[in-house]
Amino acid sequence: MKRKVNINRPEISSAEIAKRKNFDSVLKQTTNVGAKPLIKKPWFLSSVVAVTIAIVTTVVFLNKNNKTDLTVADIKDQVADSLALAEFYKAEEAKPCIAPPIKGLNVHYTTFKVIAEKGASLEYKTGSKIRIPKNAFADENGNILKGEVELRYREFHDAVDFFVSGIPMTYDSAGVKYQFESAGMVEVLAYQNGKQVNMAPKKAIDIEMASNYKGTEYNFYKLDTVANNWSCLGKDKVVPKAAPASPVFEALSEPTDVLVVEDTPAYATIEKKKNEASKEKVTQIAALPKPIAEPVKPAQVKKGKYTFNIEVDAKEFPELSVYKGLLFEVGDENVNFNKSMYDITWDEAMIKEGMKVGANYNLTLVKGLKKYDLVVYPVFEGKNYETAMQTYQEKFSKYKVTLDKRIAEEKRIEEVYQAKVAEFKRQQEAIVKANEERAANEFKQMETTQKVMRSFTVSSFGVYNCDNPSAYPTGVVCFATIKNDLNTNLMCYSVYLVDKGKNGLFTFYQNPVTRLSFNPKSKNMLWTVEHGVLYWLKPEQFNSINGGTKELVMKKVDQKFETVEDMKAYFNF
Amino acid sequence: MIETSKYHATQTDLANEQAIVEAAKKDPAKFASLYDKYYEQIFRYIYQRVDDKEQAFDATQQVFIKAMESIYKYEFRGVPFASWLYRIASSEVNNIYRAQKQRTVNIDSVGVYGMIEEMEETKIDKYHDKIVDIIGQELPEDELQLIEMRFFEKRSFKEIGEILEITENNAKVKTYRILEKLKKIIK
Repeated sequence: MKRKVNINRPEISSAEIAKRKNFDSVLKQTTNVGAKPLIKKPWFLSSVVAVTIAIVTTVVFLNKNNKTDLTVADIKDQVADSLALAEFYKAEEAKPCIAPPIKGLNVHYTTFKVIAEKGASLEYKTGSKIRIPKNAFADENGNILKGEVELRYREFHDAVDFFVSGIPMTYDSAGVKYQFESAGMVEVLAYQNGKQVNMAPKKAIDIEMASNYKGTEYNFYKLDTVANNWSCLGKDKVVPKAAPASPVFEALSEPTDVLVVEDTPAYATIEKKKNEASKEKVTQIAALPKPIAEPVKPAQVKKGKYTFNIEVDAKEFPELSVYKGLLFEVGDENVNFNKSMYDITWDEAMIKEGMKVGANYNLTLVKGLKKYDLVVYPVFEGKNYETAMQTYQEKFSKYKVTLDKRIAEEKRIEEVYQAKVAEFKRQQEAIVKANEERAANEFKQMETTQKVMRSFTVSSFGVYNCDNPSAYPTGVVCFATIKNDLNTNLMCYSVYLVDKGKNGLFTFYQNPVTRLSFNPKSKNMLWTVEHGVLYWLKPEQFNSINGGTKELVMKKVDQKFETVEDMKAYFNF
Repeated sequence: MIETSKYHATQTDLANEQAIVEAAKKDPAKFASLYDKYYEQIFRYIYQRVDDKEQAFDATQQVFIKAMESIYKYEFRGVPFASWLYRIASSEVNNIYRAQKQRTVNIDSVGVYGMIEEMEETKIDKYHDKIVDIIGQELPEDELQLIEMRFFEKRSFKEIGEILEITENNAKVKTYRILEKLKKIIK
């Protein structure tokens, strides 16, 4: 900011200053002394007048133009609603600086007993360290305290902690409003015999707060509960922890711990299901009714070929007994065949399966010591052939029906199996992708969320933070009216945006919200409280918010949270 | 140079003052004695930081109006009621800066000579203008506040600490660090 320098400007005398004193004028201009009833305050009366005029004007206008049927009772109701809302807002604004929104739900203090004259080194459950020097406590008159003092300490590390504690996360720096992104907050208080005590003059408590955020962009602030604002005290010191505190970091730093996605239970379970599906397919196909045997098509004897009429055992060769008038034709491969063989009365003729099973046979002819082997083919002649063909056609038709049925059934089983395989593959690919994304995020987070100790010194008791003043998330801007699922406007003053990509709680005021902005690429939630009941807008509901004027229907959270951890589990923190 | 501070208070003074504050919470007329007691201090604090006298009177009036409107929120913290008024005044001054987009620094040459003496330097005239230039241009706001309170308003480190909500020792250490820094720059 530009500076104007005056050197040795004439001073004003005390007499001149005294002349300008006018307490009566101050008293007259004061409108809110001692928080007297709202109805007695000038601002309230003027608001009533303004609201009434606005509503009456609207009603007259509507009646003139739209012929609405608003009655005096309607107007009275609207005026009453407006007045109730104005009173509600004023009451909200008058609330203390730290106002937990849900009764009975808050971050608990851990109480340490400290012998005042000895001091103490304490460790909080998060690993934070608190070092209290000797004689660090004083009463309201500045007298150094002796004996046992209760030090009450708590920390706030995420949006749920910030929300339930009611600690403001907005910061006014010379009129410019910021939203805090936090590397962690602490509250430290001291009591003796149930009475709050002060830090002794020239004494200070050193705190090393365990934090998930190692950045140096955070400043060190103290909450001024009177001015309702944070005071910047400078910078904290960031001290890396000796051992890597992040489980992610540990896992990635040890080769034996590297996660092989195929070895994960989820992936292996799907692989097992795949094998089971394959076995099931084989079993189902095997269980299908077998089609009848395919009939052998009868062959007609070739012109000029020699045949033998030999009786065969129907049990031994059932396929040769299907048709009547069976003959065995001498094949062309029998180069040594001589038609004189036809003139011999053979002692014995034996048939065996040939090289082409079902197609040819070996005929052995024996006469005394002479023995001939011929390759022969089953054939039919004349009417026998025609009859055989007719029989064959009938049998083949029956066979075809059963065959087609089986093929259709096998196809159905295969399709079911392939669908299962495709689903298993999709599930496994999703696991691989999720694993890759998680690994990428973890690597990214390692840069920002590796645990560190943030070190600072406090010379008075109260609430301190290591925060970074930032702007509201951007991307989509809308003007939102907040409703419940009964389509009624929620009577809420503060609406809190949780952006999972940022460690803060972005506060918007009043309903309708004059300007709600958020980053559509983040996972967002909206919280608000009406009469102590929590409502929320789910992450998926943000998908339909594209900007402009919007009615947002927030769902009541029916679950009763006993602890802050319950709420964290519910909202997946 | 008029002594600004009437700040030092005994424990009895603080207790009496607290009783008045509690009474004023119930009856605004009881605020009159606090108004009388602190009017000049608050006016001088504001006038030191703005350019215009009338603006300083108006802002002083606003400080007391706001104090009376918020007194029901005031909690006694073992320091004079004035420290609370100073914080309201500081906010009021910031409002003026924002509106004017300019911060006024009223430098008292005697105060600058005091700074040079604290630096254990002898070339008073030579360094005076250099210090004025630094204060007028590049000294950070938080450092300017300390210098302003200590050398131009002649406040004790205890009082500075209570107004800025830091310890007396911290106020002292910070002030001498600023002087060391200035010494290096001007030489």
